[in-house]
Formats: sequence, C-alpha cells, structure tokens
Amino acid sequence: MTAPRVNLTIEGRPVSVAPGTNLIEAAKQAGVLIPHYCYHPGLPVAGVCRMCLVEVEKFPKLAPACATAVAEGQVVHVHSEKAREARKGVLEMLLINHPLDCPICDQSGECELQDYTYQEGRADSRYREPKRFNPVEDFGGDVLYVPNRCILCTRCVRFMDDVAHDNVLNVSERGDRAFIGKFEGKDLTHEWAANVVDLCPVGALLSKDFLNKARAWELDRTASVCTGCSQGCNIIVETRDNVVMRYRPRSNEQVNDFFMCDHGRMSYRGLNRRDRIDVPSILGGKGYDAVDWDVALDGAARVLKGKRAYVVASPNLSNESLHLLSRLIKKTGGVGTFRIETGHEAPLPGVKDLSLRADRAANGTGAELMGFTRSNTPFAGIAAGDALIIADAEVKPEDLAAIGQASAVIVLSTSMPAGVTRAAVVLPVSTHAEEEGTFTNLRGRVQRFLQAKAAPGMARPTWFAVSDLLGALGESAQYFMASEVFASLAASNAGFAGLSYDTVGLRGLPIAGEPAGAGR
Amino acid sequence: MAINVKVVDRPIEETSYVRATLSGMANTLKHLVDPHRVTTQYPEERETISRRWRGTHRMLTTEDGKAKCVACGLCPTVCPANCIKLVPGEDEQGNRYPLVFDIDEFRCIFCGYCQEVCPEEAIHLGRHYENAEFNREGFVYDLERLMAQTHPVTELWDPADPKGE
Repeated sequence: MTAPRVNLTIEGRPVSVAPGTNLIEAAKQAGVLIPHYCYHPGLPVAGVCRMCLVEVEKFPKLAPACATAVAEGQVVHVHSEKAREARKGVLEMLLINHPLDCPICDQSGECELQDYTYQEGRADSRYREPKRFNPVEDFGGDVLYVPNRCILCTRCVRFMDDVAHDNVLNVSERGDRAFIGKFEGKDLTHEWAANVVDLCPVGALLSKDFLNKARAWELDRTASVCTGCSQGCNIIVETRDNVVMRYRPRSNEQVNDFFMCDHGRMSYRGLNRRDRIDVPSILGGKGYDAVDWDVALDGAARVLKGKRAYVVASPNLSNESLHLLSRLIKKTGGVGTFRIETGHEAPLPGVKDLSLRADRAANGTGAELMGFTRSNTPFAGIAAGDALIIADAEVKPEDLAAIGQASAVIVLSTSMPAGVTRAAVVLPVSTHAEEEGTFTNLRGRVQRFLQAKAAPGMARPTWFAVSDLLGALGESAQYFMASEVFASLAASNAGFAGLSYDTVGLRGLPIAGEPAGAGR
Repeated sequence: MAINVKVVDRPIEETSYVRATLSGMANTLKHLVDPHRVTTQYPEERETISRRWRGTHRMLTTEDGKAKCVACGLCPTVCPANCIKLVPGEDEQGNRYPLVFDIDEFRCIFCGYCQEVCPEEAIHLGRHYENAEFNREGFVYDLERLMAQTHPVTELWDPADPKGE
C-alpha cells in the first residue's frame, strides 16, 4: 500500500507530496524557492516574517507558505504580481532599520536579506527618519549579537527553546524597539549554541571566532565529516588559500539534522597547525636526514623485516588507512591498539540520538571493526624486539617509558609526536581534510569525506604510505585511489560487504548488521 | 645564369644628391626660425592630463589619518588582474580595517574597477604617471604608501554628466 499523496500545482508545475506538507517544502520539491526568513525545516513554524506570502487560487488573501498545508488541487502562484508586491513591502519594512553596512558585515555574500533585496526589493528607501540604533551585545559563548541588523525572525529563540531546550533568548520590548534579549543572568553557553549563527538569515548573530576573517564568496566549500567526536556530524569544510577557516554543518537527517556542536566547530583549528612534518626522513648519524619516499619506505621495510609490528593508530584515521594497517599487522603477526580521549556527553535534546559523544574521535568504531583494540595505555603491550609504528597517535609523557621497550620506532604522522626522539623512519601523512576517505561513526554509519585542501610538502595519505610499505615488504598491494582501498576493504571485511564509494555517497550508509543508524 | 637587369640611363640633374640635400637643409632652416614648437620641455614643462587619467592608486584617509578602507573585500574580488591582496582585521575599537592591503602596480591594468566598486570611496586611481623605481618590489604598494600618496585622484566619469555614471 502506498502512502496517500496530495496533488497540487505550484507555479504551473504539478507536484505530489505527502499530506500535511507545508507549501515551502512542496515548492522545494517542485523546484521553486519561496523566499522566507523565519521558516527553517529544523525548527517549529512561527510565521512571523511574512516573507513567504504566496497567492493561492480561491483564497481570499495571500497565505504564508510556511504555515499553509497543501490541499488537493491547490494552485499556488509564487511570483504573481500580488505576491511580489507583498514581498517588496515586507523587504522595504525590514530595511527601514537595517543598516547599510554590508561592506563590514560578515554575513555579506550569504545573507538572505541581501539576496532577496537584490532579487525583488526596492532600489531605494522611502524612509527619511534616522535609523534605530542599539549597541552590539556579547551573548557569551562564541556568539555576538548586532541588534541593528536583526530582522526578528526568531529562529535563534526557537532553536534555543525547542531544539536545545535551554531558554536563554527571547524577544524583548515591542514594535520597532524589539530586539533579541537574554534572560536575566543567562548566557548563550549551551554546547550547541553556535548553531544560532548558522540559523540567522542576516548578520545579526555572528561567530566571534570567524569575525572579520573571510568573505563568504572567497571560501571554497568541501563536504566532509567532523572529527570532534564519534557522532560523525556531516560538515562543510570552508577553506581560503589552503587554510581552513571554519566548519559548518551539512544537513543529514540520519545523523545530525542541521546542526553541529561548538566543540566540533572549533576542532578545525587542528588542521591549520604549523608544525607539520612535510618530508620523509631517516635517522642518520647526525640526526634526521630528509630523504625521498622510496628511500624512506625501503628503510621502514628494513626496520620491519622479521619483527612484530606493534601499531598504535589514531582513532581519527580513515577506514582505508586502518584497513591497510591491519593488513600490515596481520602480515607481521603484530598487534594494533588505539586510545580515544574522552570527555563529557552533551546531547542536543531536540534531535533524536544527536549528542557530543564522550569519545572524542571520529573512527573508533572503524578501528575496532578492523581488529584494533581500544586501550587507555596503548603502548603498554610493547614487547622487546617489537617494531613500533606510531600512526598519527598522540603520545603522552607517561607513554615514553613503554615506547623505549620497542627495538625500533616508525613514525607515520602529521606532526612529530612529543617526546619521540629516536624514530628510525619518519613518514609525513595528511590529515582528514587533505585526503579522501571514510569514517564509521558510533552507530556504524560509514560516511565519506572529501579532500578540502592540499597536504604540506611531500605528505601523503596514510593509506597510500602503508600501501607502499606493504609493497616494499613484498606484498602486492598497489592502490592509487582511496576508492580502490575501500573496495578491498569491502571484499575482505564482512561489515563493509556490499558498500562502495558510489553507494555510500555523501550521506553515508550503515554497515551490514546495523539498524538504520544514528539520527531520527 | 646572370639575370638581365635593365639599367636606365638618367640625366645627372635627376640622380645627384645635391638638390635633395639642399631642400632638406632648407626645411631644417625653416623650422629653426619658425616660432611654432610642438615639443614639451619635460620635466620643466608638463602637459595637463585628463581628469579621467587612470594612474597609480591612492588610499584616501579620514580626518584622524586612518585609511577609509573597511576591508570589505570587494576590490580584490572585482579586480580582473588579481593585483590586490587584502587581509581583514579588527582594531582596538572593534572596527573592521585592512591588516594588509597591497597593490601590485605591475599587475594592475588600471581599469578603475576598484575605485568604482569601493563602497567607502577609499581606494582611488590617481592622476599620476611618474612611477619609476629601482627594483620590482618597489611596485608593490602597501597600505602606508598608498595613504602617503598626495596626487589628485581620478574622476571615473564627468561629474557634469550624471548619465556617464
């Protein structure tokens, strides 16, 4: 039995949607954008901005598309004379008190008020009185409020009330004096509060971290996955001149809906580290000698020959890298361990199964599936004669004694692990923003991330380096693309059977034997 | 095989250089006494240049000596030659201003788009053409140098004719 559908016509295009859908969503399916400010698919409907007024045949007056449900046989005109005139009026009213400071506004270039005013607003204002002025207010957390630019769509208020369940924001005062206020003694310090910056359609709520850093049109955007915790929120990495400027959430109703937490948002900073290793090197008589990849790999193969490989992996390595590392472990009869930093949980109550997880790494699930064992003392099991491979894992001062047990150390890392001074071979690898790959989140959802920037110097993806290392050890493991490694993983690991880059896509798929995955 | 070249026998009056030389000298003599002169005695004398002359840039300043620029990023965006480097920052009062504002005058094609697009009327082309330098680096003007320029700025259109805008 098929679900009931409602048929209607929007801008002359027939469309069939589920009953109860509002006109904005129905129009989206018809490929028509109804301009709107206060409506957001992740928030309850408010109907306060009056921007989405559309003409519906047989209705006595214009209807707000966000709060009007579809009906059988409806005929909707979005760009009719009447609807355009109404929107023009709304825009003129919103611009009465909106300052003309687009040149210094961070939202400029991604501002909906700017876009719609260019599209169908008046060229000039008829308002001759001075504009209302309120000083900039610090909302706490990462959020700055510029009341002059606010159009009072209340998206931020509804997010804090209905999604974050933390009543901090309200609409204070009335009429043209109205502004977004904080409740007495409260600050916007909720762990998911920075989402109000993304939700704000204008430049009223700004990120202090991103303030004045870049213009929206200068940024290159790449689909990726956040490595802040094991939730695996879908994100967009925004870069300028090969420097990551910020993370923004990418909607995926199976994982993170439209949101991401502040912890994840700030985790982009690790990608801009300046102390990256950028050439392979070998420990010689007078310290490290920079060498070519071939020489370094031959050196690493010589070190590994006849020894047990003890691999301590970072839980932020991709499935592909972990897969090839596990093959290296199997080949040498070694051991693989990893350690995950933990913190407190911070759920977002308005979305089912969405939380800043205690495990602060992206791919712990993947590492466990690949046969790595989780341990708080990952270096403790090193036996004399083992060759230790530090695969981008963090080294703490208390680990150094255990590392001393290893007969040789190979570092396969983005930056030199603190305290490790006598590594036989150092191989530079790329971070997750500099390579393509997949992560498995805590609900077993395999999600792809794409390359957002170039790796420094001669750094290569970890899987590429390990594949070459396997080749130097005499195994036929020649891979040139991450998708080929993933195909090999799908062929050898039952959990990943049937998955490929094409089927996983940018929205992810759960591994075999898991329910539909995290999210609602 | 030799080529047969036709040799014309001309009278001496036609082939002599004396007549041509004399007529040339006469012309020279005429210009020596003629008061009409077209050469400008640069650098003692200067031509007046058009008000729409587009020369090297100048950054205008506010009354308190700060650059008018708010680092909006429109000029590097519109620049067809990609010659403007801008890094925005924030001053002590929280105002947006350019941390770095470099214009490579070698790359610049003097189209005037930066002046036209500037919402603060900060960056201008100048009515100025004496730009010699001893090295290439000297042609990358930084913010300080752009602000120190004193030459008059370009008018991109005739103010008497608003249609030109």
